[in-house]
Amino acid sequence: MDHLETGRLGEALAERFFRAKGWTILGRNIRVRGGEIDLVAMDGPELVLIEVRTRSIGKILPAEETVGPRKLKALVRSGRIYVDRCRWQGPWRIDLLGINLDEEGHPRFSHLPDITVGRVQV
Amino acid sequence: MGPILGVTLKGIEAIPIDIEVEITGGLFVISVVGLPDAAVREARERVRAALRSNGIQLRGRIALNLAPADLPKVGSLLDLPMAVGLAMESGAVRVGETALFLGELAMDGRLRTTKGAVPAALLARKMEIPLFLPPGNAREVALVKGVKAFAPPDLKSLLAHLRGECRIPPVTESSAEMEDKVIEPDLADIKGQAAAKRALEIAAAGHHNLLLMGSPGSGKTLLARALRGILPPLSDEERLETLLVKSTLGIPAKPDRTRPYRVVHHTASAIALCGGGTTLRPGEISLAHRGVLFLDEFPEFHRDLLEALRQPLEDGIITVSRASGSVTYPARVLLVCACNPCPCGYWGDPVEPCRCSAHTLEKYRNRLSGPILDRIDLHVSVPRLTPEELVCLEGRQGPSSREIREKVTAARKIQQERWKAQGFGCNAEIPERLVRSGLCLSRKVRPFLMEAVRGLRLSGRGISRVLKVARTIADLRGDLEVSVEDVCEALAYRGGGNPIDGA
Repeated sequence: MDHLETGRLGEALAERFFRAKGWTILGRNIRVRGGEIDLVAMDGPELVLIEVRTRSIGKILPAEETVGPRKLKALVRSGRIYVDRCRWQGPWRIDLLGINLDEEGHPRFSHLPDITVGRVQV
Repeated sequence: MGPILGVTLKGIEAIPIDIEVEITGGLFVISVVGLPDAAVREARERVRAALRSNGIQLRGRIALNLAPADLPKVGSLLDLPMAVGLAMESGAVRVGETALFLGELAMDGRLRTTKGAVPAALLARKMEIPLFLPPGNAREVALVKGVKAFAPPDLKSLLAHLRGECRIPPVTESSAEMEDKVIEPDLADIKGQAAAKRALEIAAAGHHNLLLMGSPGSGKTLLARALRGILPPLSDEERLETLLVKSTLGIPAKPDRTRPYRVVHHTASAIALCGGGTTLRPGEISLAHRGVLFLDEFPEFHRDLLEALRQPLEDGIITVSRASGSVTYPARVLLVCACNPCPCGYWGDPVEPCRCSAHTLEKYRNRLSGPILDRIDLHVSVPRLTPEELVCLEGRQGPSSREIREKVTAARKIQQERWKAQGFGCNAEIPERLVRSGLCLSRKVRPFLMEAVRGLRLSGRGISRVLKVARTIADLRGDLEVSVEDVCEALAYRGGGNPIDGA
């Protein structure tokens, strides 16, 4: 399984994960200028843009820790473009879902909501 | 004006701050406008965390405006009104009636003690609105009469109260009484020094400034400490004034009526003594308001520091002007100074010879400026005790501090009764227009005073000060009229231009 396959598997798992939470999934792999949004969903009144990170066993860093400040900035930039494009007026946020696969391929989810709080100067 | 008000401090005054909140769509961010300082800007994180731990999740783009916009907002006391404003705007609570909120928030929503509770209480009383404040501030606010104050332990119970789900009991007023504790050292334990003890009694009764001069080890500092034990209790109004100054610095209030007693070391800076600094805080002279400011080793203080005391000693207030604005603090102190008669300390001593040259003596004396000494009513020399006195005198000497305090308190009561209509409470504050009235200067005394003024070359201020002290001496006797003897005693405490020359 190469890294692209791992990624696709992860996004599928992510969609199931959020559906199970009761969120409405609005889109997957939405391309915007300069980036891509893995998953878009509604959590109650709030629009959530989700970055999915999947890693199989053997990597040193867990998946959710691979988003650094540069990636965060890129996510905010893509998010703004997307929110603008679909004319969304309400509140929105960016979540991170880390999926770590064990030896048998079972996923372990780690969901970090609202990752921009206190980090990005707007 | 909106329903949610906070305060910021300007000197000892609380200024109401209107909290306005706007929440729009977008990525979560809180921006605070209205000249917040770093502590107010950082309140964003505390407020967000405190609301979150109470189940209120903030969303979207949030703008907080603190009006009036051109007044700088200082400190963490705006956390609570900001949190309540945000809770209301996000629909978690409704605040119908205008109220004043004050307090710093912990991340979990607990309320932390802040400074400024007493000024805020006075503002709430003036505006006739309720005040919500941290439980740690309840005690000082309880001493302010006529305030509707509530002290919820945390944000959760405050929100429940505002929703009407439960009621927090209002802070009950308390009026603390003078503790009858013995303050060491007791006057009766001090050997000899009858004249100095009498001067302490007069100083305490009329709030007159005092200079103690004597050789090393003669007991100047001990006497000054003993003054604490004989000061009359603070009146309600006076206590509120001292509370106000303490509250602006966040010093917890003692629930009794003990007067402030501040000892300042001679290395103190002018700002520490008079107030000021970048955030404009009151100095020692304001903390000693209505109490004692003790300057030991008086001539060692910087000259400009002593000169800075001249105006507040006269006016009872000190105005600190800086680029960031000017504020006025109360500064009516009983100044107690202690000094040696010369650098070696033995000038005028009957046994020990003085080793100072004429030049060093002159230099030392020049440090004490005439104008500042002119403002000290009671100049007392504290001689070294003789070997007989030191070794042989046993047991208690004269009346105890408690007895003197009762006498002093009675004399102060007479003064308060007499001057109530004029709006002040002690003889040191008698204004010029009343000093030469019949209350202080009777017809009988006039010729004698004339003679004394001629002989001693007293200044105009000198005469006023002598008459004020004489009035206090008469009050200690419980006499309505000031007698020639009273004026005579008052004159004895007044040195010449320089007390050292007169010694």
